Amino acid sequence: MTIFSRLAASFVVALCVGLAGALPAQAKDFIVTGVKPNKLVVIDARARKVVNTFTIPKAAPGPVTITTSPDGKIAYVIVNRWESVSGIDLETGKQVFRADLSGGDERVKIMFGMDVSPDGKELALFESPVTLGLGEYKVKPSRISFYDTATSKRLRTIPAPRQVTILAYSKDGTKLYGMGRALFVIDPTDGKIIKEHKTQAWTRPNFAPPDILDVWSQFEQAGVFSTPYYTAQTNKKPEDPTGYWTGILTLNLSTGEFKMKDVENTDIFYFSTVVSPTNPNIVFGVYNNLAKLDIEKGKSVGRVDLDHSYYDINISTDGTEVYVGGTMSDITVYSADKLKKLGKIQMPRGANMAISSMRIFQR
Amino acid sequence: MKHLKPANTKAELFTKAAEEGREDEVRLMQTMVGCTASLDPGWEVDAFGGISALCQPMEADLYGCADPCWWPAQVADTLNTYPDWNAKAPAAQRDWRKLQSVFPEDS
Repeated sequence: MTIFSRLAASFVVALCVGLAGALPAQAKDFIVTGVKPNKLVVIDARARKVVNTFTIPKAAPGPVTITTSPDGKIAYVIVNRWESVSGIDLETGKQVFRADLSGGDERVKIMFGMDVSPDGKELALFESPVTLGLGEYKVKPSRISFYDTATSKRLRTIPAPRQVTILAYSKDGTKLYGMGRALFVIDPTDGKIIKEHKTQAWTRPNFAPPDILDVWSQFEQAGVFSTPYYTAQTNKKPEDPTGYWTGILTLNLSTGEFKMKDVENTDIFYFSTVVSPTNPNIVFGVYNNLAKLDIEKGKSVGRVDLDHSYYDINISTDGTEVYVGGTMSDITVYSADKLKKLGKIQMPRGANMAISSMRIFQR
Repeated sequence: MKHLKPANTKAELFTKAAEEGREDEVRLMQTMVGCTASLDPGWEVDAFGGISALCQPMEADLYGCADPCWWPAQVADTLNTYPDWNAKAPAAQRDWRKLQSVFPEDS
């Protein structure tokens, strides 16, 4: 080996060591969920282990929607009878953000809709305000408020359609999507409705307006929002089971592409769905069953019974593991390919997740 | 009925409606408008007229429905008036015996 080749070899070794030192350790998936009456639970997904249980101040009757900051450091949680949002540092457990919305004669509820802007600076909340009079309640127009995540101060408020349950920012932060009686594309600066993807007001011939009940946010892994819908063919007899259809609505948060695709005759229900981050045509749905649905081919490609009902579903970053949770006290892990049960994670003290979200972040 | 007279406006309206055959029919709740409209959570039928599409077991759905006031008449209103109704019963399937009736407080 010549001096030159030795130097070259040393350089390569030094470069490799340097690169290895600069690379972060392999990021891991963590699940964050809430349990009654006031706990935020952080779970190492692969280890099937609860790694932190934090107490959320003034949270009763329990956590509802959870969304994490883009850097995975803070979880924002709707708490306190749906009237407050608490931001909890996911390493220390300290409350670093707090917005209590009700005050004076106004009572404000946040009915599920919440998301953080892609730059992490603003928190968008769908608010349903009511004026409390001595002998009557006066319902006020619904609205979306934006809070500064650094100061917990309200920055601005825009008008919003009623009955929106899910808020999701587009990946570039220029649009805010609201799922209600339609899927609204909203300008987050002034509230202008840029576009309205019709759902309940669709004009599909010989089909009844679809039912959609979606209150669980879980679109962070694939960057695609999804929800099940249910409809029926009006040109078939009511007693004909082939006239009832389950479909999947998807919205790509990067491209804005919106699709509704029938997948199977309705013989079971799904409360929530999640899109695979490795195959956008594959959607998993959960309730009393866990199902795997192909929205390109429009058919079910797998289904298993579950031990009990679950509300929430999410998926690992590599698309190999599906997590079902909510309702009771466990998150159960299934393989994404064959829907084989892989493990179960019990919540601290056996507390119920109830209606809390189940989100995934990496660190 | 001939010997009964309506004592207030509402009763008068009922009587008039009955005479004109305009009484609404009470029907079995069998549509997807929520978990239940019956008086007991869990005692309901699903969209197929059966029970397999209901939450299993009922306790899995108790807090998920009670906390959003989905069953406003059947369980305590945790969303506004009784936020601590189930605070000492964090696991419905285990702690349901601790859930108590609630009564309006003296003002």
